[in-house]
This record gives sequence, structure tokens and C-alpha cells, in this order.
Amino acid sequence: MTSLLTNYRIWAYLVFFAILLALPLTGDDFWLNRVAKYLCFGMLGAAIALTWGYAGVLNLGQGLFFGLGAYAMAMSLKLASYTSLQQGSDQPVPDFMLWNAQPGASTDLCCITPGSWLWIPFQSQWFGVAMAIIAPVIVATLLGKLIFGQRISGVFVSIITLALVLLARLLLVDAQPVTNGFNGLTDLGYFNLFGTELDPYAVTTYYVITIALIVVLTLARLLVATRAGTVLQATRDSQTRALYLGYDVPAYQTFFFAVSAAISGLAGMLYVVVAEFASPSFLDLTFSVTMVVWAAVGGRGSILGACIGAILINVLEARASETEALVEAWKAIVGLVFVLVVIWLPQGLGGFAHDMMRRLTGRRRPEALKQEVRQ
Amino acid sequence: MFDILFIGLSLSSILLLVALGLAVTYGAMGIINMAHGEMVMIGAYVAVLSNIWLGANLLLAIPLAFLVTAALGYGLERLVVRRLYGRLLDTLLATWGIAILLQQAIRLEFGLTFFGIHIEGLGSGLQNVPVPQFLQGTLGLFGLQLNSYRVFIVLVTLALAGLTWFTLYRTPLGMKVRAIIRNPQMASACGIDVKATNAITFALGSGLAGVAGVLMAGFRSVSPDMGATMVVDGFMVVVTGGVGSLLGTVAAAGILGEINALVAIFFNEIAGRASVLLVVILVILLRPAGLFSFKGR
Amino acid sequence: MTVYALQTEGLGVSFGRFRAVDGVSLNVAKGELRVLLGANGAGKTTLMDLISGRTRSTAGRVLLNGRDVTNLREFRIARAGIGRKFQIPSIFTGLTVRQNIEVAQSRHPGVFSNLRIGRSAADRARVEEVIDLVGLSDQMKTEAGTLSHGQIQWLELGMLMIQSPEVILLDEPTAGMTQAETGKTAAIINRLKGDHTLLVVEHDMAFVRDIAEKITVLHLGRVLAEGTVAEIEGDAAVRAAYLGSQEISAC
Repeated sequence: MTSLLTNYRIWAYLVFFAILLALPLTGDDFWLNRVAKYLCFGMLGAAIALTWGYAGVLNLGQGLFFGLGAYAMAMSLKLASYTSLQQGSDQPVPDFMLWNAQPGASTDLCCITPGSWLWIPFQSQWFGVAMAIIAPVIVATLLGKLIFGQRISGVFVSIITLALVLLARLLLVDAQPVTNGFNGLTDLGYFNLFGTELDPYAVTTYYVITIALIVVLTLARLLVATRAGTVLQATRDSQTRALYLGYDVPAYQTFFFAVSAAISGLAGMLYVVVAEFASPSFLDLTFSVTMVVWAAVGGRGSILGACIGAILINVLEARASETEALVEAWKAIVGLVFVLVVIWLPQGLGGFAHDMMRRLTGRRRPEALKQEVRQ
Repeated sequence: MFDILFIGLSLSSILLLVALGLAVTYGAMGIINMAHGEMVMIGAYVAVLSNIWLGANLLLAIPLAFLVTAALGYGLERLVVRRLYGRLLDTLLATWGIAILLQQAIRLEFGLTFFGIHIEGLGSGLQNVPVPQFLQGTLGLFGLQLNSYRVFIVLVTLALAGLTWFTLYRTPLGMKVRAIIRNPQMASACGIDVKATNAITFALGSGLAGVAGVLMAGFRSVSPDMGATMVVDGFMVVVTGGVGSLLGTVAAAGILGEINALVAIFFNEIAGRASVLLVVILVILLRPAGLFSFKGR
Repeated sequence: MTVYALQTEGLGVSFGRFRAVDGVSLNVAKGELRVLLGANGAGKTTLMDLISGRTRSTAGRVLLNGRDVTNLREFRIARAGIGRKFQIPSIFTGLTVRQNIEVAQSRHPGVFSNLRIGRSAADRARVEEVIDLVGLSDQMKTEAGTLSHGQIQWLELGMLMIQSPEVILLDEPTAGMTQAETGKTAAIINRLKGDHTLLVVEHDMAFVRDIAEKITVLHLGRVLAEGTVAEIEGDAAVRAAYLGSQEISAC
């Protein structure tokens, strides 16, 4: 590790972290709140890069994991909200459940609406936090075992994940008495972190999310640098060769799929803390594809690149939306930029930066994703 | 019972309308064209505009929409898709970008809104197209009263499927296309102009989407985002049927449409849709090659 | 009774009514290099597929040092000690030559035992030794996808070398190589001989004479003859079958 200090990639991470940590110096709380949301999207970008760039698995249903994390947290925060505590029963009860309840039904969380008992453990916000990670991991592990165990790859994985997120969205909206259907969960309380309430507009909240992002990026980067990370990239290039070297390829794919799901769940959870709502739109196809757009523009083969891509696109979009006329035009611009990036910069901005640095330092790119597995 | 089956048939025909074009571009060319739904949408707008500006009825809009979307598809292939052959997932992404561009082009009336110009029929609002007189009302068949327009759609869809089959399996162009599916290098070595054939094939697939759009304009309102969900349904049909098998696509559309209708009648609309998604997932898990694929060695 | 490194007992598979491999019994001794000969369609590659688990057999058994490994999943057979090189070279194109060899050095194949960074000095030395042996020292940091055809074949051989399985299956290791490249490949294979048990499919008779001790000839999915190079070259049945079918395949 002698080259640690001369390694430009490590510097890229450090500079990025420093910028994030210094951002509150601007003193603009409104913008900090927005950026905090985009940092959650940044995690999503990194999660996509992990499976897409390193494993060659394009998940078009990442929104499912984000949504699971978001709803788990939102359920806890909903129960912690002022309105839920004021419904005249011993336990907090979400207001929408009262609107949905049959006349004369018990107003207890156990049986106010069919399935409302699912909410009982969420009275502990740490249960919500745990479920925000565990639920996506369980779903991803089961799904991974099924998909990868059957040696399904490429576009078929994309179509299964896409169908699954649409299915989950249907069920979520249909389960109105438990999930408040189309309306989602709004009017949430604050997350209580060891006695500090996380006001979405407070600098503390921003720092909590920034630190989470730093930890996620560092761990994800270290993860792909492990031997297992190299094996994963090997499975991307040739599943068969990896199998005949004795690697349980489905196990590797499933493991990283689950890690990506955990990151997405965490992102969803933190997003709810700053955005104060959870909605079925998290499971929209458009949202899941938009995440892929972020990662593609930032660089699918680079965890940091994909993360920055997500943040950058969202910041620019927010700026553009400040001008009424630009809102619709902005979408067209994103579409155009995206087409151009896919054609001319398949490795995104991250890959472009890599190439520039390589030219400057005369080094070779060690883990570039050159070609996609052909169907 | 027959009325339920007819509802299913009607759903199937709509699925097939969208899937036919995809069966050509994805099944035959290996391009995941996410802008396919937007081609349908453009076709629907051709119907809207020709109704408003030319006073033409729906039937006249069909050939017009075919020409417009086929030309658009041809241009797309030359400008974008051509650079992405062999990069399957990249075609999915790039065409997604194109889909957004097409939607915005209609919403912003090709950018004219910025200059305060409004073209009637475009913009982000909903549009409707009247159905010709003789297709309104119902039709007595086997003692059932069937919606004439639905029957019309089923018939046109079947005709289009037959035409597509004929084009792929009984014409020189179809022969070339099938040769390219099997082995593009070899096809090229045998003197087939692969690039030109691909462009024409893509145009054909897009043209089919345009026709689908006109037919849809007759029973639902037209809006810039109407295509977004269609393309997903279309892909599911093609994948379930087996990539590269036109017959499989037709059969899959029939099965999925009927499942949707039956479950929806006995349970509810959401269960119907959910069961379709579930069937698609199961088919890919259990038979990744699709229901009706030919087993290679 | 001697225990053979690799044994097949009446191994067979049918696709529909077609028996691609039909009751093949082989006994390959420890350290032996066995060449499989046969015309196109004789079932050589299918036999390798059956041994390595790529295709499930419908009859017979595969034994590795007397242990039954029939129809285990591919990675389990690989872990048991059977490595394989494919006819169409298969390497990790996006990784460097060094990373390719490192991935092949898989003493702990599980996910969780591989969640570590870096490797021991001994491991690293072995990686460099193998890269040197297959003559790719200058390409250590090159992305494997950019190597030439011959280099890719050697890289794959290097991966087998460091994986160091008990039994190595090689499917046409010299296909598409120049004469000089073939010579180098023969040298690499001769180096593997002795430490490993090898089963090699090959058509190039000059190359076969270079490396072979014992030859098994397959014809229409069955063993037609078995013996030394000289014995096989003089065998009338082999001549008839081999030359006969070669006329057909020459069309």
C-alpha cells in the first residue's frame, strides 16, 4: 500500500467527502435539506454501480428496495407523529386507519383495519431502522437465489426485477388499509437520534446523512477491492470460467445483490427522514429507470462516479426547476444528454475522468468495464 | 362466459398490437426499444392531428401513421440505434432517453411553446379522436352484443399479425432479416446489406407501433405519456412468448390477455394485472427461453 | 485394485433418441496424460461436458480418486479437483492478466472467506511465477480482453496451473495456433504432466505425438480403441472409422 497517497482515486474520494462536510458553511438550510435528499439518491447511484458495473446485473427494480426501506422508516415515523398520538387510544394510531376503519371497529393498532397489526412493532423507531435494511436484504437474497440459481442473466434479470417492482407497487396501492394506498405516508414525526430530534432542515440531519454516505461509499469501495470483489467482476466477464474455477457464482451474485439492496434500503430510510413522506411513486418504473440514468451518466463502472452523477443531475434539475419554463425543457435535456452519454461515453463521467487521469499519470486503468456480456 | 373471453380477447389484441412491433425490433434485431411506446403515442397523435387539421377519419390515419412512425424509426436507427448493436442493455438505456425526448417534443409542441405558438392537438393535455360512424354501437355475434370497435381492433390486429408473418417468412426482405438474426457476419458475407436491412426492419417495427397508436386513439384519450407503460407490457409479451418467435408472441398475448380478463372478473382489476406480472416472472424463471422458443442444441 | 485419478464407468447421455456418448469407460492413472481422438461428432467434447458437470449424464458414473462426482454442480466438481479449459478460450476480459491468475488462485472459494484485501507474499510470488511460466510477464497489467489469441490460450492454461486441480481437461488447446505457438503450448502442457492428470482432446497428430502417452479413440459415442501412439496409428479399425468419417466431414 505504498502508493496510497499517490493514488488519485483515493484523493477523488477524499476531496468529495471534504466538499460534502464543508457544505453547511454556506448556511443555506433550504439547500442543505435538498442536498441531503440528493445524497440519498447518491447512495442509490452507488448501489446501481455495484451490481451493474461490477456484476453486469442491471436491476430495473431498485426502487423496490428503496421503497421497502422508505416505508419501514415511514411507518415508524408515522406512529411518532403528533396526529397519530392524538387519536384517543393508548397506542398511537395512524390517522388514515381511522378513516379506513369499519364503523364500530376497535381503535387499537392490533385490529383497527385488516393487517394493521403489522404496524405494532414499528412503534419502536429502531425496529423501523432495522427493517429498512433487513427487509430489502431478505427480498434480495430470496430473489437472487431464484434468479441467479437458475443462471438467468442479462436482460432477463432486468425484466424480472422490473415486473417485480410493478407487482409490488400494485400490491402496495391495493393494501390501502395498511399502507394508505396512493396517498402514501405523510405527516410524519421526527426521527429521534439518542435524544436529538432530526429536523429535516437542521444541519445535524445533514451531517447524519453525509456521514452515512461516506461510510457507505467507503465500505462499497473496499468491498469491490476485496478478493470477492475481483471474483464478482470475473463472473461478469465469464460466469462459466468462474464456475469451473470452483466459485459458486450464484452465491457471489446474490451476495452483492443483497449488499446493493441494503444500500438502497438505507437510502430510502434516510430519504424519509429528510423528505418526510413515503409514496408508491418510489416504486414507479420511471424512478427505477431514472436511478439507472444517474449511474450511467456518472459512470456505471465507478462507485464514486455513479454517486456523484446522481447528486449532480439532481442539483442541476433543482436549479433548472426554479425557472418555470425550464421544467419541461429540462427533461428533454436529460433525455438528450443521456442518449449522447450512452453512445459516446459508455463509461460515463467517471470512466471519462479515469481515462483523463490515466493519460495524465500514464497509468493503466485497472478495472474498467470494457464490454458488456453479450446476449 | 363468451363475453368474458371476448373481453380477454380484446385485451390480448391490444397487447399484441404493441408487442408485434417489438417482436420485430427486439425479437429479430436484438434491440430493446424503450421508445416503442412513444412510437405508439406518435401514431395516436397522427390520428389526432389528421382529424383536427385534415378532417380525416381514423381509417385514413392508419396508413398516414404508419408512414410517419416508420420514417421516424428509420431516422432513429440511422442516428442512434446503429451505433449500439451488440450492446443490448445500452440500447435499452439510449432508447429510454429517446422516449423522454419524444414525449417532451409533443408536450412542448416541438419547442414552439417557448415562442408562444400553440398547435391545436399537441401539448400536454388529453386529446380524443372520434370513431367513425359505422364502428360505433354494437354488433350481434353468437347471440352476444359486442362493441363494434373492439371487434374491429381484434380483426385489424390479426390482419397485422398475418402481414408481419408474411413479411418475415415469405418475402425477400424477411429472408434477409432472418439471415441477419442467425448470423449477421455471415449474412453480410453473403452479400446482404446488413445496415440497410436493419434500418428497414426497425422502420417496419416502428410503423406497426404507429398503427397501434391510431387504433388506441379510438378508445382511450391520447396524451404524451400514454406510451410509457405500454412498452413494458409489450416486452413482457415478447419475452413470455419466446424471443424471436412471432407465433410465441401471438400466443403469449392471447394467454396473458385472457388471464388478465378472467382474474379481473373473478377477483378485481388489480388482481388481474398482478396475475399477469406473476405469470411473466414465473415464465422467465422456469423457462428463460420463453414458452414457445425452439430449443437449440 | 489401483485407484485411478479419473475414471468413468459406462458414462453416457442421450439427447432425445440420439446417444451422443454411449457407455464410455475410461481409466486414467494418476499423472497420466491421456489424449482423446475422434472425428467430429464422436462425442469428445460431450464427454468432457459430462465429466465437468456442464451436461448431466443419463447413465454411468464419474469417479475422481474413487470418489463419485457424477452430476454434481459445476463448481462442486471444480472444487473436488477437476479443472477445465474450453475449446473457445474463456477468460475474464475486463480484468488484468494478473487479476485473472489471482482469481484462479482460489483456495477459499466462498464469498465470506474472500472478503479480504491483499494476499500473502507466498501467494503473490506464486502468481508471478505462473505468469512467468506461461510467458505473459510483460502483459501482467494488461487487460486480458486485449491479448492475442495465443496469449489468451496461455493465460487460460496459467489459470489452470495455479488452480492446480488434480485432473485437467483440455479441449483442443492448440486450435487456431501458429506452429511456434503450438510448440510453446506443448512445452506448457508437458510441464503440467506428472503433477496433474490430464485428459486432452486434440486433432493435430504432430502435437499429439509430442505430448501423448496413451490414446483413446472415440467413435460415434463409444470407445473404439485404446493404446499407445504407435498402436493406434497401426489399428485397422481406427483407420477405417477415422478416415471413413473424415471423408464425410471433408464435404
